[in-house]
Amino acid sequence: MNRKKDKGFESPRPFKLTHQVVCINNINFQRKSVIGYVELTIFPTVVNLNRIKLNSKQCRIYRVRVNELEAPFIYNDPTLEVCHHESKQRNLNYFSSAYTAAVSAVDPDAGHGELVIKVPSELWKQGDDLKVLKVYIEFSLDQPKGGLHFVVPDVEGSMAERGAHVFSFGYQNSTRFWFPCVDSYSELCTWKLEFTVDASMVAVSCGDLVETIYTHDMRKKTFHYVLPIPTAAPNISLAVGPFEILVDPYMHEVTHFCLPQLLPLLKHSMSYLHEIFEFYEEILTCRYPYSCFKTVFVDEAYVQVSSYASMSIFSTNLLHSAMIIDQTPQTRRCLAQALAQQFFGCFISRMSWADEWVLKGISGYIYGLYLKKTFGVNEYRHWIKGELDKIVDYELKMGGVLLHPTFSGGKEKDNPTPHLHFSIKHPHTLSWEYYKMFQCKAHLVMRLIENRISMEFMLQVFNKLLSLASTASSQKYQSHMWSQMLLSTHAFLKSISNVSGKDIGPLIKQWVDQSGVVKFFGSFAFNRKRNVLELEIRQDYTSSGTQKYVGPIKVTVQELDGSFNHTLQIEENSLKHDIPCHSKSRRNKKKKIPLMNGEEVDMDLSAMDADSPLLWIRIDPDMSILRKVEFEQADFMWQYQLRYERDVVAQEEAISALEKFPTPASRLALTDILEQEQCFYKVRMQACFCLARIANAMVSTWQGPPAMKSLFTRMFCCKSCPNIVKTNNFINFQSYFLQKTMPVAMALLRDVQNLCPKDVLNFILDLIKYNDNRKNKFSDNYYRAELIEALTNSLTPAISINNEVRTVDNLNADVRLILEEITRFLNMEKLLPSFRNTITVSCLRAIRQLQKNGHIPSDPSLFKSYAQYGHFVDVRIAALEALVDYTRVERSATELQWLLVMVQNDPAHYVRHKILGMLCKNPPFTKTTDSALCNEALVDQLWKLMNSGTSHDWRLRCDAVNLYYTLFGLTRPSCLPLPELGLVLNLKEKKAVLNPTIKPELGVSTVMDTPASIGIHGVDEEPDPISLGVCGVGQPPQGLKRKAETPLGSPPEPGQILQQQDDDARGGRYKIRFNTMEDEDIDMETVHDSQAFIHHHLNLLERPSTPGKEPPSVEQTMLTMPSTPAPSFSKETTSLSSKHSSEHSHHHHHHHHEHKKKKKKHKHKHKHKHKHESKDKEKERERDNSHVYSNSPASGRSLRSPSLSD
Amino acid sequence: MADPAVSSGGSLTAGARGGSSKAASSPAENYHLARRRTLQVAVSALLTECGFESAEKAAVETLTEMMQSYITEIGRCAKAYCEHTARSIPTLPDTVVALIEMGFNVDTLPVYAKRSQRMVITAPPVTNSPVTPKALSAGQKRTHPAHIPSHFPEFPDPHTYIKTPTFREPVSDYQVVREKAATQRRDVERALTRFMAKTGETQSLFKDDITAFPLIAARPSTIPYLSALLPSELELQTLEETDSSEQDDQTDSENTTGNIINDDPGADKENSMLPPSGGVPSTKASEDNVIDNPYLRPVKKPKVRRKK
Repeated sequence: MNRKKDKGFESPRPFKLTHQVVCINNINFQRKSVIGYVELTIFPTVVNLNRIKLNSKQCRIYRVRVNELEAPFIYNDPTLEVCHHESKQRNLNYFSSAYTAAVSAVDPDAGHGELVIKVPSELWKQGDDLKVLKVYIEFSLDQPKGGLHFVVPDVEGSMAERGAHVFSFGYQNSTRFWFPCVDSYSELCTWKLEFTVDASMVAVSCGDLVETIYTHDMRKKTFHYVLPIPTAAPNISLAVGPFEILVDPYMHEVTHFCLPQLLPLLKHSMSYLHEIFEFYEEILTCRYPYSCFKTVFVDEAYVQVSSYASMSIFSTNLLHSAMIIDQTPQTRRCLAQALAQQFFGCFISRMSWADEWVLKGISGYIYGLYLKKTFGVNEYRHWIKGELDKIVDYELKMGGVLLHPTFSGGKEKDNPTPHLHFSIKHPHTLSWEYYKMFQCKAHLVMRLIENRISMEFMLQVFNKLLSLASTASSQKYQSHMWSQMLLSTHAFLKSISNVSGKDIGPLIKQWVDQSGVVKFFGSFAFNRKRNVLELEIRQDYTSSGTQKYVGPIKVTVQELDGSFNHTLQIEENSLKHDIPCHSKSRRNKKKKIPLMNGEEVDMDLSAMDADSPLLWIRIDPDMSILRKVEFEQADFMWQYQLRYERDVVAQEEAISALEKFPTPASRLALTDILEQEQCFYKVRMQACFCLARIANAMVSTWQGPPAMKSLFTRMFCCKSCPNIVKTNNFINFQSYFLQKTMPVAMALLRDVQNLCPKDVLNFILDLIKYNDNRKNKFSDNYYRAELIEALTNSLTPAISINNEVRTVDNLNADVRLILEEITRFLNMEKLLPSFRNTITVSCLRAIRQLQKNGHIPSDPSLFKSYAQYGHFVDVRIAALEALVDYTRVERSATELQWLLVMVQNDPAHYVRHKILGMLCKNPPFTKTTDSALCNEALVDQLWKLMNSGTSHDWRLRCDAVNLYYTLFGLTRPSCLPLPELGLVLNLKEKKAVLNPTIKPELGVSTVMDTPASIGIHGVDEEPDPISLGVCGVGQPPQGLKRKAETPLGSPPEPGQILQQQDDDARGGRYKIRFNTMEDEDIDMETVHDSQAFIHHHLNLLERPSTPGKEPPSVEQTMLTMPSTPAPSFSKETTSLSSKHSSEHSHHHHHHHHEHKKKKKKHKHKHKHKHKHESKDKEKERERDNSHVYSNSPASGRSLRSPSLSD
Repeated sequence: MADPAVSSGGSLTAGARGGSSKAASSPAENYHLARRRTLQVAVSALLTECGFESAEKAAVETLTEMMQSYITEIGRCAKAYCEHTARSIPTLPDTVVALIEMGFNVDTLPVYAKRSQRMVITAPPVTNSPVTPKALSAGQKRTHPAHIPSHFPEFPDPHTYIKTPTFREPVSDYQVVREKAATQRRDVERALTRFMAKTGETQSLFKDDITAFPLIAARPSTIPYLSALLPSELELQTLEETDSSEQDDQTDSENTTGNIINDDPGADKENSMLPPSGGVPSTKASEDNVIDNPYLRPVKKPKVRRKK
């Protein structure tokens, strides 16, 4: 593991950056352009530094001077277009590896860059004395698509009056989009930043504002910033606009900026920021590292929160007035997150991408501590449980999340996460969802470390890291101390071991070096004779995303005598654990029962099993393992746990377990919890939904009024007239949240006809009717929005007679009432808009639900108008969500087109990202389903989108990749026409013609549909138990020159097995089996070659090129790539986890056995055996060989086609 | 011969009386009506005197109107003359001058007044002062105190100024009020939105009947976040009204900040209640001069020697 080695920081560059000047002379809002220059001061660390590689994207570079001498330069950005020629391949494996290669080729962490400057020969003749070089680059940006975002509202007036502003943004290191720099988190330097802007504007940037000076014509002013603390370029940002300025009343060195007219909101929203400051400074016993802090609130923000050195950029939508309840904690959380990242992420930066988890982990962890302090322990535990559930669900669904990927040997071929359709080697190739989960897991792991070494030590470690860094930051560059400000996994672990003296190696190995979570199944039996609890804990460590856990686990048993903790050892083979019980059943003595927290309570023990003293059992109650526990205990135990266990996590677990026990006792337990005011409100909210589900399950035996109705009446309605709700008073937030949630849950109730009961609907309509907020000092917009959601929830599918067209006349009476409310709400919103237009959002959802259930005609036009640019972003997202849903349900090609056009053209980056995200979540079709939408044009369009259309935004490109994966899978989209090959060899024998539903890929079924057709078809598919790959050859596709050089040109290898099936007059049907290893050898070689080509060209191109254009020679290299040979399924088979492939090979055996191909079978067996043995080796090789693009079926891997060899 | 006229006059007075009692709208109006009736009687009498047996109502009305104008003009003129001479109450000569001015031969007046066939018009009946309904009688009717002359009008009936608390069933009342308020609000909202929908562009959910549930068309705004984030005027108003009530909540917000707060979402409450107008900004205002924040510093004039 290279972590052990990386003691100090070794720069991948032959020079060290010490200082950088960024000067932007002109920002033109009309044209959306920027002109400026940068000057980098660098120290060569080698003799004869002749090339300087810097990062720069989309900048137009006018001139480069090194120490006043003009220097030639080359600008080449391979990520602009990932795959360079009109390839017919269209397969994601190919794309992913090409994309990773492209990103690697300019990766600053590897010393690469898009901009290669040739140091004038005069300078390198100076020889040994390693003189300082000053690299001066003039550049401009015209209508930047990434890096900087211009918001220019289209109204009358000057730019300042219009509220026009511009700010920098990006996902991870994206500073290269707006000025040339070394875009790495590990290259620190001091900064001087100058921005000349219109006199009516303010330029906010990193560091201290030294002075502001008018230009000579007095129409502009220049902001001079100095950042003396060494900072990495990705942590530099800029925001320019006619901001209103608020100096924090508590901390005068903190300044807040917002857009015009929002100052009152800013004042309120920022009124508690100082508390967050105080909290962090106190726990870290460390001053905030920068001398000032700035918060800027901008419109159309890329993300809600982004932190840069001494400033943070937020979405303006986080601002709120004192009347808003729901937004308040959210905004506060965002501020706390931003501030935590100031310490870890901005001030202390990461050494390499593999160390990202430490910084995300620490900032997430201290943010958690803030949550605990501010919102309480219950909220904190609830949050931790939520985060744990999220990561567990994600990993079980998508495969493991690896915190600390190691790329052994420094080679790029290594793929530690073969289950993913993207590479985790670079932040820029990661899917956004994966990155979010990565952050989530990182802070959970930090919490595990805290559990292990205590919080005190944990904070000491942080303090130590911070003090080291702040000592280093004040040093001059020459002291070589700056690398202390970079944090690596190794340094972090070392610090932990120094401070705590504890070895957390196993913990790190389990959760950081390895991906996956643990899945426990628990059950128990009580042995009365021995008075022993026999607990059985099993694990599933074979499914994807899981891992095996060995080590201690805490089990808490609540008995009649009290609560007892037991620590069990989970070992390889022991499933059963005997836990001695304390109390013999002594229920008769009327005694209070002590709980874990020392409290003693009276319980009604009549529900218990008379023989057992056990009230409830909890496995890993402290969540000190990243796990999912499925535990079986009797319903009454869950009920006791819900009522009497004081831990909110236990209560929530009990609630979700009780869903499976729809009995009157569960009902009672839930109702009691609902009524209990001491109980945490989020538990009570969850109980509402559980109660609704239970009520539905026991609909035939349900007694009394609909669930929760009488409770709601008692809590929120007038004493004298129970059908009228009290006038709103939200001063008690717990009741407020409950009041909001109960109607939503009640609307989920269904009667025997599976309709929402009439009195529930009337009840909700009455709530809307009598809602009166006049005496309330809080806004009721969220409450009203929830009432609309309740109406939505009450909808059930319409009874359709002969598919008649939905008209006003045949509208159901209840639906008419609902529709009237929605119409009124939506119209009122136009006149009196609510905060964040929550009501419009709910109404749009309701309308879509009405359409979906067939009550009103399904029509996208309303949503389209609300999705237009110019509506509030929440409204747009809601409308787009409806459109995405419409696209799926109606299979509408026009709407899909419309959405994709918006992805390409919308001004707001967030909206573009969201559209792709929603299309992935709710796809119009998937790789396993068949759809008319799936056609060649769509493939081309999406391919273009991810290949070149999204080069300005890493996140968007990864979103596009995700969508492509969701729609078409890893391999060649099934809807593409057969590649131009001469002969199809259908190798399925009759019995193997599968039920097409099992077949994941359409391509296979195509073959099966035309069994007799002749032509060569490359099948690539998910490994399938029965089918074997089919490969064919005919006319080799373009670029076959290289073919001749590959080993493929040779006759069939021994490992390549040909199986002739029964000759049933259908012509040649063959089974071919390739030796996977050999395929990989080939792949590897070709990849090496193309890599070499890229590097070669990047290094050796001598003439400057125009930005954005590829030198043709590179294109040539790229040309060869797609034509590399590809076995149809080698990647599939091997890239699967080991267990899978073993399963499959087993299937193969079986299959062959059936066909009585004894001889062949023997061979097969041999081969598979060989495969088993060499699995590890293979894996390893494969790791060197992530470039699976060569797998395309279209490429002529199978030069030696069976038919030919026949 | 006089019968019809008398009868008409009688019926007129009767009508006037009936009208006054029936229409009982306001005293001023009543008075006005009565005067008009009297004039009408006079006109009818003159007509009878001239030999008319009957007259159309419209004609009588017109004549009455002319007569009224004439008398009003005499009065106005007389008043003007008297004021011209710095007096306040017109005297006989004022009236005479006024009549002369209006082209009336004053000398003919005595003769005309003494004409034989003139009809005597009975004085309009004095209407009784309205009797206070039993239900309204309240308190003691007050007599004048000693210092007020007795010919001054009497005090109005006590029910007009005495506060009499009344009670109704509170239960039903609340319900009715809420019901009423809700219905009213809903009606207003519906009417308003319908109006807006009728007068502007709309979108519809149905193809067959686009007027069924008209939705005001969604119109993109140039700066959408402003309307979405800033509280509406209505909400601001509410905030002002309720502002006074939050004074007492403020005090406990300071002392709890240090403690770890268990499961108490009141934490939000405390801070969200820190009103923007609380103690802090006021101290800030006084300290404003002291604050040294680079963004508040004045912008410097360009130097002659420019930096770099």
